[in-house]
Amino acid sequence: MEIELKPFGVSGLYVKATGRMDLDNAVEFGTKVKETIEDSEGVDELILDFANITFISSFGLKVVLELHKEMASHGSMKLRNVSETILKSFQMVGFDKFLVIE
Amino acid sequence: MFKTIKSKILIITLSMSLVLLFILAAIALCYYHDIKQILIDRTIIFTELQAEELNLDILRTEKNARDLALMGELYYKFDRNPKIAEKTIIEVFENYPISLGGGIWFKPYIVNPDKMRSCIYAYRNDKGKLVLDESFESEEYNYLNQNWYKEIMPNLTRDDNVEWSFPYYEKEGSDSLMITAGTAIYDDDRNIVGLSTVDWDISNVRAKIIKLENKLTKNSFALFANPKKDYIIVTTDPNLNDAELVGKSLKNIPWYNGDLKRTEYLIYNNKKYLPFEQELINGMKFIVCIPESELFAKILKGLMIFSLLIVLISFSLAYFLYSGLRRNVLKPIGALIAIANKIGKGETNIDIKVQSPEEFARLADTFDKMTKDIKTITKERERISSELTIAKSIQTSSLPAIFPPFPARKEFDIFASMVAAKEVGGDFYDFYFIDDNYFMFLIADVSGKGIPAALFMMTTKTIINNVSQIVREPKDLIEEINKKICSNNKNNLFITMFTGIVDVSTGKLYCINCGHNPPLIKQNNGEFKYLNMDSNYVLGVIEDAKFSIYETKLEPGDVIYTYTDGVTEALNADEEMFGEERLLNTINACGNSDIVNIINSIKSSISRYSGDIPQSDDVTMLAFKYNGVDGISGSDTSNEKTFKAKAVKENYKVFYTWLHGVCADWKLNEEAVNKIDMCAEEIYANVEFYAYGDETGDIEVTLSKISDEVVELKFKDTGFEYNPLEKADPDITLSPEDRQLGGLGIFMVKQMSESISYERANGQNILTFSIRII
Repeated sequence: MEIELKPFGVSGLYVKATGRMDLDNAVEFGTKVKETIEDSEGVDELILDFANITFISSFGLKVVLELHKEMASHGSMKLRNVSETILKSFQMVGFDKFLVIE
Repeated sequence: MFKTIKSKILIITLSMSLVLLFILAAIALCYYHDIKQILIDRTIIFTELQAEELNLDILRTEKNARDLALMGELYYKFDRNPKIAEKTIIEVFENYPISLGGGIWFKPYIVNPDKMRSCIYAYRNDKGKLVLDESFESEEYNYLNQNWYKEIMPNLTRDDNVEWSFPYYEKEGSDSLMITAGTAIYDDDRNIVGLSTVDWDISNVRAKIIKLENKLTKNSFALFANPKKDYIIVTTDPNLNDAELVGKSLKNIPWYNGDLKRTEYLIYNNKKYLPFEQELINGMKFIVCIPESELFAKILKGLMIFSLLIVLISFSLAYFLYSGLRRNVLKPIGALIAIANKIGKGETNIDIKVQSPEEFARLADTFDKMTKDIKTITKERERISSELTIAKSIQTSSLPAIFPPFPARKEFDIFASMVAAKEVGGDFYDFYFIDDNYFMFLIADVSGKGIPAALFMMTTKTIINNVSQIVREPKDLIEEINKKICSNNKNNLFITMFTGIVDVSTGKLYCINCGHNPPLIKQNNGEFKYLNMDSNYVLGVIEDAKFSIYETKLEPGDVIYTYTDGVTEALNADEEMFGEERLLNTINACGNSDIVNIINSIKSSISRYSGDIPQSDDVTMLAFKYNGVDGISGSDTSNEKTFKAKAVKENYKVFYTWLHGVCADWKLNEEAVNKIDMCAEEIYANVEFYAYGDETGDIEVTLSKISDEVVELKFKDTGFEYNPLEKADPDITLSPEDRQLGGLGIFMVKQMSESISYERANGQNILTFSIRII
């Protein structure tokens, strides 16, 4: 899985991953994002671009929830370009109620 | 209870002391007479000593009398001064403290013709002081008429003899019971002019006798008498009255017969007595009678004391022996037993410490060494065992285990299974394309078991693989393989193998059977039957062996099933083999099932047949199904696809690639694929993470297109029994802060599936659910 991490603004982080967010690489994705947030100190705005995510499994959902909890304590998280299929997955587990999806 | 050393020691010691006692008793019996004699002699010596004492008294008394007589002669002959005589008498008496009194007495008118009586007498008064008594000279006393005078005087001779009177009671002077000893006073011509007397206090003698008699046994008694003059002085016989008998005849003593010196024993009052008689120098006799029973009671008493002592010594010996034994033998043995038990239970970290005794220290050292050896051996064994496990897993993992192995190739299906026996065996299978068109599969069994067979199998597998990449022609290929195996076979192992080479574009099949079990083949929608073909040599024996090839053509839907002897030779409880006929029946009962089902059915059939009998050989099967070049097999099995692999992370990508392939084949829409993908991933992850604990195991997934609207997914694993449907659903209405991370996946599967069920069968977890695809 390709993961693109880009800081933006004063304290924002833009993340764009490509591929499946599943058993194979969801954990890797989450770890990488969290490490970047910790390293760069004071990230209070996180944007996850789902444009190139073809599939999200429960493992991916767990990572999204973890990141949301992490950001909720000192900032905000937004999801972008979420496909219909993936949105359905979010809806199924009720994540759509708290996730900010643009 | 008599088997322990403890009791044995006790018995030995006790019997030893018993034997000792018996010996002692025997000795006592043998020497009873001697001991008796010793006791008698001892008593004789004792009485002799007593007699000597009495003799001494007698001698002193007689000497006293002679001294007085000498003094009397001096008085008579020279100086008739009574004052000097009186003083001298008292001085003489002072030299003889045992004498009661005495004096000098002259014959009538011999000292003074005018005076009839002339005497000087002194005695010890009740204060022990010597006093003169003139009353003895008086008319009233008239010593000339006294019995003692009459008894002694006539018997005195010119020979200085001492004569003893009868016992008598003297009222004058000392006022005592006495015997008087007298000796003559002579003039120059040795005419007797008078006599001197000394009084012997009988009460004094009596006290001595009683004292001595008391030193003897309780019921013994004594007699002191003068047999010459036949009178009794003292008797302590309790049956007689001593006071009355003083001075009386010895005839009054019922047991005295006149001479007891030669009498061994006498019976008196029905009692046996031993008499001991001692004659004294003045003719008196001193006799002691001791009851025989009392005298010899000492022997018995001695014996008893001695026996008791022996018993005591024996017991304490036994005790010390036992306690010594306990400390030095039993305790170390106990400790060693405890240690041995611990070692038996597999504990090897034991510090064995026994310092003494040396034998046990040595034994303990041996134990210690043994424990260390066991430790080493156990470690070694564990190492070997773990190496064997590793070897087995290396061997197993060297076989292709992901099915379908070539999802992109639609021309055929292939499925294989190996259930390894506990021991490392020599079964294997393999398959690969030797070029774009030619697909080779093989199943083989290396002779023997264990590490050598496993190593040989790996070598063979590699050889076959290498050769097949170079040589194309089946006949040349197998002959080259055989040659290579032969040259690498130093241990004379051999291999049976069935190989099939298929031209997947045409279905042409070349079969080479090298001494292997005949495969089953199903052609033209018929039944399975054993392939009738020539068998060749086994591989690895004859280097230049020639091999014959069987050729046939597979049509779409044809299946060839190969197996090793672990299948047909599987035993049941009655030690009967599964057999070829049962195999044929089992496979034909599967009808048109796909090859995964066929192999699984046979596997479970064998497992049912064997029951609890442990599997002794690898059970290996490989089935190949030809679908034809366009992938349309002609049967409806293309609506059912099975994937089988080890449920590990590395295989997940293979799995979803296969899954997407099947979905693409069935032309499912994006949403359906997404649902199937999500559900399948969840269950795959569950099996990977939880089903086998720390181990790894297989996952088998079957995708069936039940209808145009529904696809069914069936997941199987042989891990721990677990029903994921029992897990409680997460509350999806909670705020993100309260949401739990777990339980999401299975919840999603439940949400997306039409129906879902779990069952546990044949040691498998089977989760089945269906997904709507429209």
